[in-house]
Amino acid sequence: MKALTSIPGVPPLIACFALLVAWEGLARLVGLESLPTAWESLQELPAILRDPRSLYDILSSVRRMVTGFALAAAFAIPVGLMMGRSRKVAAFFNPLFMMIYPVPKAALMPIIMLWLGIGDASKTLVIFLGVSLPLIYHTYQGSKAVGEKLLWSGAAMGMSKREQLLRIVLPAAMPEIMVGCRTGLVLALITMVTSEMIVRQAGIGNLLFNSLDLAQYSATYATIVIVGVLGFVLDLLFEKARGIIVGWADPVHQIAVGSA
Amino acid sequence: MTMQRRMSELAIGAIPILLLLGLWYYLAAFKIAPPTLLPAPGLVFTRFVQLLGDPTFMSHVAITLYRLFCGFGLAVIVGVALGIAGAGSPVVGSLLRPVIRVLAPVPKIALYPAFILTLGFDHSSKIALVFADAVFPILLATYQGALSVEPKLVWSARAMGVSRRKALFTVVLTAALPSILTGCRIGLVISCIVVFLSEMISSTDGLGQLLVRAARNFQTVDMFVPIIAISTLGLLLNFGFNMLRARLLVGFPEEN
Repeated sequence: MKALTSIPGVPPLIACFALLVAWEGLARLVGLESLPTAWESLQELPAILRDPRSLYDILSSVRRMVTGFALAAAFAIPVGLMMGRSRKVAAFFNPLFMMIYPVPKAALMPIIMLWLGIGDASKTLVIFLGVSLPLIYHTYQGSKAVGEKLLWSGAAMGMSKREQLLRIVLPAAMPEIMVGCRTGLVLALITMVTSEMIVRQAGIGNLLFNSLDLAQYSATYATIVIVGVLGFVLDLLFEKARGIIVGWADPVHQIAVGSA
Repeated sequence: MTMQRRMSELAIGAIPILLLLGLWYYLAAFKIAPPTLLPAPGLVFTRFVQLLGDPTFMSHVAITLYRLFCGFGLAVIVGVALGIAGAGSPVVGSLLRPVIRVLAPVPKIALYPAFILTLGFDHSSKIALVFADAVFPILLATYQGALSVEPKLVWSARAMGVSRRKALFTVVLTAALPSILTGCRIGLVISCIVVFLSEMISSTDGLGQLLVRAARNFQTVDMFVPIIAISTLGLLLNFGFNMLRARLLVGFPEEN
C-alpha cells in the first residue's frame, strides 16, 4: 500500500475516485431529479465528446484560451522583468496594477463586446486581461530577487544592460515566472468559462447552460466534469513542462488558486 | 530622503492612472468614441456618487455583501480548521493533499450550474460558489503556514505539559497566523469577484445583476457603475483587512 501511494499520480487518482464515490453516494441519498448520480452523468460523456457541435465549442474555447494566454505571457513577462530591475518602472506600474487587481475581469465582457463585437477578439481580450496581472506579479517578484552579485559579474565581463536582462535576470527569475504561468493558465481557463457563462453565446460555458435550459441535467454534470478534467490536466501538463524547463530549480509546491 | 523618495514614487505611480483617465476623458469629450459606447468619465462618476445615496442601489449592495460575507465566513472556518487538522495529523494531511491537488485547479465557477440545480436560484447557490472559490487559498495558506511553524515552539509547549491537541490550537494556530491572514485576504478579494460574477450569471438582485440589466437596456453609464462599485468594494475590503492584519500581528516578526 505504501509503495502504491508513493507512485506520483496515484494519490490524485484515488482522490478522484473517492470524490466520484462521494458524489454517487450523495446523489443516491438525496434522490433529487436535479442531482443525477455520477455514473449517469459519466455515461453522457461519450455523447458530448462525439457530437461535432459541442466538440467544436470545446476546441474553439481552448484555442481562444491558449491565444489569450500566449499574448498575456508575451506582454507580462517583459513588463515584469523591467519592473523587477528598475525601481522607477515598478513605482510607475504598481499603483495602477493595485487598482486593477480587484476588478472582476470577466465582468468586463459586456462592455468589451460593445466595443469589439461578439467575435473572438473580445473573448481573447478578456482572457488576456485575466491572465496578465498574476503573470506580471510573479515575474516582478522573481526578477527582483535576482542576486546583485550575478549582475555585477555579468557587468564585469562586459555584458550590456540588455544582455544582462536576457541572459542573467530572465533565467534566474524563470522558476518564479513558471509559478506565475501556472496560476495564469488556471486563471485563463476560469476567465474563459466565466465570460462564456456570462455572455452565453459560444464555448464550454454556453454548453453548460444549454443543457441546463433543456433540463438535460446529466449532460450539465458531464460538462462540469469535462471542465474540471481540463483544469486538472492543464495543471498537470504544465507541471511536467515546468520540470523540463526549470528542472534545476527547487520544485515549488504551490497550487494555483485564483478567480476571474 | 526616504520621505522624498516615497513622494516621488507616489507621483510616478499616479502618472499611468492619470494618463488612462485623461485618455478616457479625451476620447469621450471629443466624440472620438461614440457616447453610447464610452460615456464621459464625469458622467459615470456623478452617477456613481448619485447612486450611493439611492436606497434601491444600496439594497443591492447589501445583498451582494451578505452573500459575500456568508461565503467568505464559511470558507475561513472550514479552511482554517481543515488546514490545522491537516498539519496536526499526518493521516488527515495525506488525505487532504490529493483532494486539494485535484480540486484546486478546477474552475469552481463551472460548479455553479450544479449549485443552482441543487440549491436553487436564491442566496444559497451563490454563497456555495463563493465558499468553493475562497476556501482553497485559505486552506492552502493555513496548511503551509502550520507546517512551517518552528517545531521547537511545539516541543517547548509540550515539555511544559501542554497536550498535543492544545498545542495545536495555542501554538501552531498562533504561529501560523501571518500565513493564515494572507490566505484570508486573497480569499476575500476572490469572494468579492466571484459573488459579482455569480450575480451576473443568474440572479434577480445584487450588483452583478445591475450590470446585466444595464447591458440589456444598453445604458452604458449604468454598466460602468456596478463595475466601479465592486472594484471599490474590493479595494476597501483589501485595505481594511490589511489594517486588521497589522493590528492582529503586532509583535510578530516583520514579513517580507
